[in-house]
Amino acid sequence: MSTPSKFNLSDSTGLQPFSALVLAWMLLFAIPTQAANTPTLKLFPTTVLEDIRHTGSVAKEMESGLQEVISRLDQQQQLIIDSKCEEADDDPGCAQLNKQLGATYLEMLNIMESNLPTMEQAVETTRKSLAKRLRKELGNGMTPWSLQENLLGGQSGKQASQTRPSLRGRSGMRLSDRFSQYYKLVSNSSSSQGSSMAVIASDIYLDMEETSDLIARTRQEISRATLMGQLNQSFGTITPEMQEVVSGVKAILFGDPESEMPLAAPPTTADSTAYQSPLSL
Amino acid sequence: MNSTKALISAALFATVSFTAGCDTQPVKANACIPPQGHDLDVAVSQSKSDLSDVCGFQFNAYLERLMNIAESDPKPANKEKFSEFLLWSNQAGLLSKQQAKSIYNRYFNVKYVSLMGDYNNCSLTCPKQQEVLANMERELLDKERGLVKISRDTSGYQRADRLLKETELVLEATCTACGAN
Repeated sequence: MSTPSKFNLSDSTGLQPFSALVLAWMLLFAIPTQAANTPTLKLFPTTVLEDIRHTGSVAKEMESGLQEVISRLDQQQQLIIDSKCEEADDDPGCAQLNKQLGATYLEMLNIMESNLPTMEQAVETTRKSLAKRLRKELGNGMTPWSLQENLLGGQSGKQASQTRPSLRGRSGMRLSDRFSQYYKLVSNSSSSQGSSMAVIASDIYLDMEETSDLIARTRQEISRATLMGQLNQSFGTITPEMQEVVSGVKAILFGDPESEMPLAAPPTTADSTAYQSPLSL
Repeated sequence: MNSTKALISAALFATVSFTAGCDTQPVKANACIPPQGHDLDVAVSQSKSDLSDVCGFQFNAYLERLMNIAESDPKPANKEKFSEFLLWSNQAGLLSKQQAKSIYNRYFNVKYVSLMGDYNNCSLTCPKQQEVLANMERELLDKERGLVKISRDTSGYQRADRLLKETELVLEATCTACGAN
């Protein structure tokens, strides 16, 4: 009675047990080795993508809640200006308009107060997860030289220009639209476009830093402004400080058109047949 | 008597030989003046001749003059001429390989020699981020000279310009992330 051999497969194919082991080892490690030769950046794993998508939907919810109130606030303010109420404090009609404006302002603050913590949390989560990826992949995982090689993409300029997504800048558009654009940029790009990914990740991260800071300052301001608003309701006026809060809210949610500026220059082309010096690094 | 004749003959022979030696190897009146004119090939040739003789200490002045001459007739082929000249300078012992590479890449490559190092960005680049970027900006001016004014490679220069802008953004984000725990 013969005992079943451990290496039946190799016996049947005529391979020695050791050769079979080597073959198995090669098959197991062939793919990772090939992948290791072409390093790709893991800046946007599924969790980060999900964070970006979630932040976008939270922003959209907040925008839709505030849009109506803010546009009402703008209309009321315009009406006050058109009626020249700034110079007619004693006019009962103007007093009524001012009171309505103050009430709308308080309404806006209430909506902000209830929505901002969720928004702040979403932005903070995205910011932290991106910080972790940037630190790991670009900060600790690359030398200055490999960073610039990565940014150049290791391909000719012509190829790079065809595949590189162009960024539109961080401001000048709605917060939800920005996130929606980020999500599309990141999810539609293949992982081979490491260079573009590094720029996009940096852009989103800096945007998160800025937004996070704005939200924190706005939240601090809201508690103060709510009190002031309640006090001013009895006098029926809206102060410059209140106006500043409204502008801040608008800047976060609907963008600041004045600071709109393209971040990256248009893609360029390069001659792939250009001279290559033996001194080239 | 014979010995006196022999001495006189020896002295005469020595004098003639010495004079003849001077005739065959005339003393060069080389004041190490970098080449003039507008022909880069001629200028490179003269520079090699001077530099391989006694003018090695004037290497920078010669290189500067060659660049000025090349600027008066910019063309893509100039890049190769400078590469060959720098390689020759290395072989002639005027420059180390590293120096030759550094000069060539500073002027004629898209990548920045100011952004180099063997350690990771968090520990090496971030602590001197502003200094690195300032050096890169200075290097971009040299690249403008090498790529645009000498080699007429505007697309190369634009790529270098874009690389600087992207590096600025990526370093700002990365270094903030390195500091945030």
